[in-house]
Amino acid sequence: MTLGLSRGQWLLLSTAMIFLLLIPFNLQRFGIYMLSLWCVFVVAAHGLNLTMGYAGQISLGHAAFFGIGAYASALLVKAGLSFWLALPAAGVLCLVAGIVVGFPALRVQHHYLAFATLGFNVLVWLFLRNEEWLTGGNFGVRDIARPSLFGVSLDGNLAFYYACLALLAVASYALAFLLASPWGRAFAALRDNPIRAESLGIDIRAYTLAAFAIGAFYAGIAGAFFAPLVGYIDPSPFHFAQSLSFLMAVIVGGSGRFFGPYLGIAVLILLPEWLRGLSGGGLTKIAQDWYLVGFGLMVLAMMIWSPGGLSGLFGNAFRSSKPK
Amino acid sequence: MLLEVLNLSKRYGAIEAVRDVSFSVDAGEIVGVIGPNGSGKTTLFNCILGQTAPSAGEVRFRGERLTGASPLRVSRQGIGRTFQSLQVFGSLGVRDNLIAAAQEFQGSMAGRLVMDSRAGLGARADAMIERFRLGHVAALPAGSLSYGQQKLIDIAMAFMAGPAVVLLDEPAAGINPTLVEELRALLESLNRESGGERPTTFVVIEHNMDFVMRLAQRVLVLAEGRLLAQGTPEEIRAHPEVMEAYLGG
Repeated sequence: MTLGLSRGQWLLLSTAMIFLLLIPFNLQRFGIYMLSLWCVFVVAAHGLNLTMGYAGQISLGHAAFFGIGAYASALLVKAGLSFWLALPAAGVLCLVAGIVVGFPALRVQHHYLAFATLGFNVLVWLFLRNEEWLTGGNFGVRDIARPSLFGVSLDGNLAFYYACLALLAVASYALAFLLASPWGRAFAALRDNPIRAESLGIDIRAYTLAAFAIGAFYAGIAGAFFAPLVGYIDPSPFHFAQSLSFLMAVIVGGSGRFFGPYLGIAVLILLPEWLRGLSGGGLTKIAQDWYLVGFGLMVLAMMIWSPGGLSGLFGNAFRSSKPK
Repeated sequence: MLLEVLNLSKRYGAIEAVRDVSFSVDAGEIVGVIGPNGSGKTTLFNCILGQTAPSAGEVRFRGERLTGASPLRVSRQGIGRTFQSLQVFGSLGVRDNLIAAAQEFQGSMAGRLVMDSRAGLGARADAMIERFRLGHVAALPAGSLSYGQQKLIDIAMAFMAGPAVVLLDEPAAGINPTLVEELRALLESLNRESGGERPTTFVVIEHNMDFVMRLAQRVLVLAEGRLLAQGTPEEIRAHPEVMEAYLGG
């Protein structure tokens, strides 16, 4: 057993990245767009997986960070700033917000923490909806331009897909290195047994705040890419229901498992779109109509029979260092 | 004087769990703490270790006041502990449990972000694994092991960072007699071993009389929160009040 990723998992990660480099050549415009969305959402879910899966801190406010990142990048770009400056600014803003939201976690745990983070999400959502002078309220922010990099325009769907893929690659490898460092072990210690951890000199306050801050940072930079990807944002995708979706995606994929978000977000975002695209009656129609019910049942089934989620079911190749 | 406890009391409402207890521990000593259930042994430990704040009194470590310090600060000062119940990191491997127990003493928090995964503790962890005879399970998740093995890991973890004093809460409870003997030999060797450094000092709460009387050089007896007696194991065995407290006679 190794801390962080096993050798097989590093190989799998690199293989997945190469596959993702090549796959758009087989896809139509819509498919490329969906895959870009998947990349962005996986990065955000990586963040929640770190906070919740690896460090054991429940959060029902992840969509708020995603929203703060999206609005920060959109508004800063609208104000004339380069996207490549707006991106780190959005990340840092979420990092700070993550530390602030982490403070309740120093006092309360479990369902109390769930409600505290949910409250934060509602607050952010109301701010996005009501503060029209800044956020445009329900009308949102329109015509968010895609950036260019070193004079190369990323406006095309394929070009922006590769930008999203680059984000996913950097975010994934950075997380893998973080989990393999002593920090990964400290997060696991915090999740498994905070009282024991503290008695061994592990500063559980600092690591709790770090888990929230880094998780929020991931959501923030994902949000910063989400805005130019979709081109128009309003408060609706950052409602706390989206936080529940992130939570379910992490659980279905496998909480505390490295490839959990890849699978969970695929089930959450790609599967329904694929089902919608299918034509024909009978079983297809049933699958389309009952998708959400199926997803809910899947969450239930995972919690009862496979706490490791889909990654747990895939066995050795997907197994991370967290068998429980 | 390494560790001093002065007039320590802990009150929970009308109940006085610890009443005016004073004692001191010298470097290199093994001190046993015995007493019937509910006599305040664990509460006394928790007051010393920052888990609960004492109602009155003082704790001094190396002459410095440590009363009311957080468990984190207590551990950073060089005081290790084990808990009465099992306390390992269940999902982590045995080796990772041991490294987790000492990594925070290596460099700064920011530095550990870019540090090698084992934080330079691989060799020390392996030596501890060998010493506690956990080699055959070293790579398995600690939570999957037997109670006795987890107990050994728990104790080994308390030594990883090289503390000056370790407070053990019932280390021999629930493990088989052969292992109890091995554990005693291990603790004695850790106590004797100076290796150019200071020896490890122990304070041990224990119900297993045979174990504690053979291990400890000095024994404290608590009854109803008070320090009833202290002395060598021989003196304690001959103490009439102690016999009465234990046998209720």
